[in-house]
Amino acid sequence: MTVLADLATPVVMGILLGGLYAVIALGLSLVFGVVKEINIAHGDLVILGSYFGYVALTVLGIDPILSLLIGMPLLFGIGFAIQKYLLNRAFKISMDATLIVAFGISIILQNTYQLIWTPYARGLTTPYSVESLSAGPIHIPLVYLLDFLVAIVVMVFLHEFLKRTYLGRAIRAAAQDRKTAHLMGINTDRVYAFTFAIAMALAAIAGVFLGLTFSFTPVSGMSFLIIALGVVVLGGMGSIVGTFVGGVAFGLAQTLGGYFFGVAAQMLVAYIMVLVVLALIPRGIFGR
Amino acid sequence: MVVRRKMKVTMPRLRGVLTPLIAVAVVLALFPIIGVPRIWLLYLFLFFTYLTMANMWNLLAGYSGLISLCPAAFIGLAGYTLAIGTWFDLPWYLGIIAGGIVAAAFAALISFPVFRLKGIYFAIGTLVLPEVLRFVFTIWAPIGEPVYGGGAGYTVKGIAEVSGVQTYWLALAIGVASIFLMRYILRSKLGSGLAAIRDNDSTAASCGVNVFNLKLFSFVIAAFITGIAGAIFYLYQGYIEPVSAFSVRWLVIIMLATVIGGEGTEEGPVVGTIIVVFLYFLLARYAEISLIIQGVILVGIMLLAPQGIMGSLRRTRIYRSLLQLATRR
Repeated sequence: MTVLADLATPVVMGILLGGLYAVIALGLSLVFGVVKEINIAHGDLVILGSYFGYVALTVLGIDPILSLLIGMPLLFGIGFAIQKYLLNRAFKISMDATLIVAFGISIILQNTYQLIWTPYARGLTTPYSVESLSAGPIHIPLVYLLDFLVAIVVMVFLHEFLKRTYLGRAIRAAAQDRKTAHLMGINTDRVYAFTFAIAMALAAIAGVFLGLTFSFTPVSGMSFLIIALGVVVLGGMGSIVGTFVGGVAFGLAQTLGGYFFGVAAQMLVAYIMVLVVLALIPRGIFGR
Repeated sequence: MVVRRKMKVTMPRLRGVLTPLIAVAVVLALFPIIGVPRIWLLYLFLFFTYLTMANMWNLLAGYSGLISLCPAAFIGLAGYTLAIGTWFDLPWYLGIIAGGIVAAAFAALISFPVFRLKGIYFAIGTLVLPEVLRFVFTIWAPIGEPVYGGGAGYTVKGIAEVSGVQTYWLALAIGVASIFLMRYILRSKLGSGLAAIRDNDSTAASCGVNVFNLKLFSFVIAAFITGIAGAIFYLYQGYIEPVSAFSVRWLVIIMLATVIGGEGTEEGPVVGTIIVVFLYFLLARYAEISLIIQGVILVGIMLLAPQGIMGSLRRTRIYRSLLQLATRR
């Protein structure tokens, strides 16, 4: 029984952490599913969200979650510009060009963070980020619960947005068949730019909650990109439910990996799981 | 598609280039003897190691349609093989070869999961590898006390007898060998098979090209040669630690050299590597913005001249007429 009781905490934490990973991966999944490009800079753009929260907290003294009111539109604009001026152009050259340009953006971002905020690890420390909850043998930080709740809210919103609004329908049309969507009078370039912009607004949310949950450095983007890629591939690209399930799977892999093999190995377990997923189920659980 | 445009470019066989190449190589080999400044030798050393890696990346990205994001995995693995080998009294020259073999074996091993993936999935698979290896080498300490970098850093032992000139010659040798290898591969059956796969792999498969084997072959060759170049680099550096060995910087250098010069052109990496080495020393004083500038150049070249210098040059009329002059006998 004691083993089960010991396991309860990492299992619950893993599931809750899965919410955070799902939010981080949602933007990637959206861009992957609609524009069919893999945004290697996604992790770094999420970290941009974290740094935005950090600046809001330390310089302006605004609560990071509240700062999203400015952070989301800001990243939305940056995302729109990146897709419109860089990635849409690269997309027309070739698939490789998109990948290489995104890689270039990632390098530029990482080193800009390093220049501005130094390589030291930062975190968003607020009164509630150090609180924790206990229920019987289970102890979990409050932030993990927030991560999970935010994930559910964001996913419901995204789902309804894609289903009910005109832009959402245009995005889905462009995702299903670019050419036909174009013939039906949808400006696909513009739709792509909006898709990327929405993905970046999601990255802003992901960034702030990431900063509340973990500490981050200028190069953290890479680790979260890899996990997000694993989540997206496992869940099947473009599927919101799949992304959530993938997120939970990776959250569990990380906390259980940490429980069994020590904290140092927990990321390694998640990374190896990415490779295993790629090798065994490259189409994902919910993939078409 | 960039690929289609590449195909239209005429590729005359430059038989005459072989002799000048050997002559240049001999002159470069004599450099240390005739007393060329040491700093020049360093530039050239870096040029040849980077050139080798860029050539191999070009073989994969430009000719096989495999955007590999994991050269750092091969370089780091080979470097570690060399370093750890010297702790077990393996002579350094065997260590370099062992490094190449370990990198190639690793490539063969991971090809089974990653080759089931096409295009973008292959890129994702290879992106993860250096990160995994960095973790492994940070946690795993194969020998005694680590020396450098907090994690598992090691010095390359017993290389006092290896002079800078010797590492220079090694780099020169592998650089020239990689040029010849590229020429040989591209003019062999393997080269045409790879070009067929790159342009359309289902068509290639239906024409009897064994897609898996050819990709595997070029991937393993690239890993082997990249590994050897990496081991030579660490022989020169004298120590290795996980963070820089599996760093994304390797990919930046290699990708930049290939993209600037022209992905999918034979001369591209040569031209690109010259520029990259030049940039490296030009920007050395501004270390903190060096990578930002390199990133901007990468994005700029890719968007404005996706075929790179050689690719763009080939399409100009002057270059073609010069080429005609050169190849006329």
